[in-house]
Amino acid sequence: MDAKPSGLTTSFVNNLVVPGDVVLDISSMANQTIKLGGGLRQDSDAISVIKAGKLRFSKPNKYWVETSQKRYVPCAEDTILGIVVDSKPDNFLIDIKSPTLAYLPVLAFEGGTRRNIPKFEDGTLLYVRVVKANTGMYPELSCTDASGKAAEFGVLKDGYMFECSTGLARMLLSSPTCPVLEALGKKLSYEIAVGLNGRVWVNADSPSTIIVVANAIMNSETLSGVQQKIMVEKLLQKIQVNRVRFHLLVPSKSRYLHYHLHRHISEFDSKTSKDAYRDSP
Amino acid sequence: METRLANTWRMTVNEKKFIETALDSNLRIDGRNPLEFRNITIKFGRQVPRFASCAIGFSLLSSEDGSSDVLLGKTRVMGFVTAQLVQPYRDRPNEGSLSIYTEFSPMADPAFESGRPGESAVELGRVVDRGLRESRAVDTESLCVLAGRLAWAIRIDLHIIDNAGNLVDAANIAALAALLTFRRPECTLGGDDGREVIIHKPEEREPLPLIIHHLPIAVTFAFFGSEGKMVVDPTHNEEDVVGARMTVTANANGDICAIQKAGGEGVPQSIILHCLRLAAMNAESITKKIKSAVEVYNTERALRKIKRHSTSVAASVSIADGDRRELQNKVTGNADDELSRRHIERLKLESEEASVNQISNADGGSDSSELGRTMKGAGSAKSFLGGPSN
Repeated sequence: MDAKPSGLTTSFVNNLVVPGDVVLDISSMANQTIKLGGGLRQDSDAISVIKAGKLRFSKPNKYWVETSQKRYVPCAEDTILGIVVDSKPDNFLIDIKSPTLAYLPVLAFEGGTRRNIPKFEDGTLLYVRVVKANTGMYPELSCTDASGKAAEFGVLKDGYMFECSTGLARMLLSSPTCPVLEALGKKLSYEIAVGLNGRVWVNADSPSTIIVVANAIMNSETLSGVQQKIMVEKLLQKIQVNRVRFHLLVPSKSRYLHYHLHRHISEFDSKTSKDAYRDSP
Repeated sequence: METRLANTWRMTVNEKKFIETALDSNLRIDGRNPLEFRNITIKFGRQVPRFASCAIGFSLLSSEDGSSDVLLGKTRVMGFVTAQLVQPYRDRPNEGSLSIYTEFSPMADPAFESGRPGESAVELGRVVDRGLRESRAVDTESLCVLAGRLAWAIRIDLHIIDNAGNLVDAANIAALAALLTFRRPECTLGGDDGREVIIHKPEEREPLPLIIHHLPIAVTFAFFGSEGKMVVDPTHNEEDVVGARMTVTANANGDICAIQKAGGEGVPQSIILHCLRLAAMNAESITKKIKSAVEVYNTERALRKIKRHSTSVAASVSIADGDRRELQNKVTGNADDELSRRHIERLKLESEEASVNQISNADGGSDSSELGRTMKGAGSAKSFLGGPSN
């Protein structure tokens, strides 16, 4: 099957689109299957845009609109960070920054049975995967990957979680490692988990490292790659100066030249990231 | 019930724990010291939404005065001051009045409900109100026009645009900045019996600023746990963890104008005294910031006045020029004609510059560019500060 997007789309792909734009005419592509992600709608033969943002296309046949916003619109197979709000006999209610709460079935854990239902206090932070996101229903989450393994999903202990826009979260997950994470990783050792719903969890040995990393990430929202690197360098210099001034010696441990990174490639297919690492809870 | 649950903002256990552990080593999540304020940015907007029009039916305000837009970190509050002529209260026939209204939009924080003001809205209004009124910061007696009959009622509207913590301090600064730039039309008594009130249009007579004796600045402290851990200017996240909050309203002279203590946790006396000293120090630095911002605005306003004159005669520029030349000719015989000519030339330059500004400004219609322009104009204003004020 020809995987190239039809003539009408090529001009729109990777460009800004606004609600009402017709990006595809499927009457001319009778034998093709296309998959629509968030922000697109089918009106008989026309695929039109319902959200302002950038139109993305992924081979062979997926289209979606990327936006940066404070709220999150759930989409199946996204990996996100959720907060436990309430525990019901069958489900946990999870806040995922979407208009409605999401359900996490108590059995949706690796080897989950009625006998070993986990206990979460309200406010627990979870790294989860969206399983179902249909309109008119509460989104359904899972703490396993598609094959039923725990993978890296589950509770995130300690550390610090902050919120950002969905655009920034996507940038942090983009596939040549985001410059800000790369630059920080050269000097500091930290763990990070990024949820596509605009939540980022950071953990490190010392609170000061966590604060530096969190602020560097929050500052990089509007910066280009080079600017991000410069910003991180300046920040680290400042920290170094402050440490000397306050006689807080840098522990040799935090000079590791590596960092752990949870990565998720923002596509609709579920992909278990190879280089993702986190202590299993 | 579940929609409501989804709309409330909540914090994770991780964050709460982290804020406290970080504070153990004197660190805060935004990288500040415990006793550091966030950045304060004060802007003065030129577009004032039309609020309830005056009871007597005059459109009283030139649109740009008496409005402020204050950013404290990411917290954003707008203040608007309006005035109307009303009958003064019976028990105070010689005084105008001052009232504060708050508007908590759900846009600022999902926790705010539209309609009925919440607990925090009421508290914020009361704290700002107490700081301003009890300390008699605004001279209300000068607001009286005709004893027992007419006095100015000053209304301060505080709009919370974004809530990132410490709304009280931000709202207080917004109220002060708006009050400092507010101008009311001048009133005189006339008529046959001398009891008829004449309100002069801003074009006729320069509107009068309010008389403000001092600036009561609110400084909020947050206390964590019982060990007396304390921070200044708490953020939204910190506010969620605190055991107690205390707002001290002080002015640059070190006078304490009001204290408000909220939250269950007790605070030892020694720490309270420490807070009072800190509040006075912070009040001094914030007062400086407000005053310098207002000064910049006023200079810019004065310069705009000149511009306004030149543009009002823009249709007949040649005539105006002729007038000036005439004027110049008239004073030629004078001893100090050299000086006056120089003044006039300066004025001319000014008006040219102003009209250029106006052209470049004409295409930017949105609010943000409006604000940007105000700041930009202020920057350029500095360069010829000494020019027109002769």
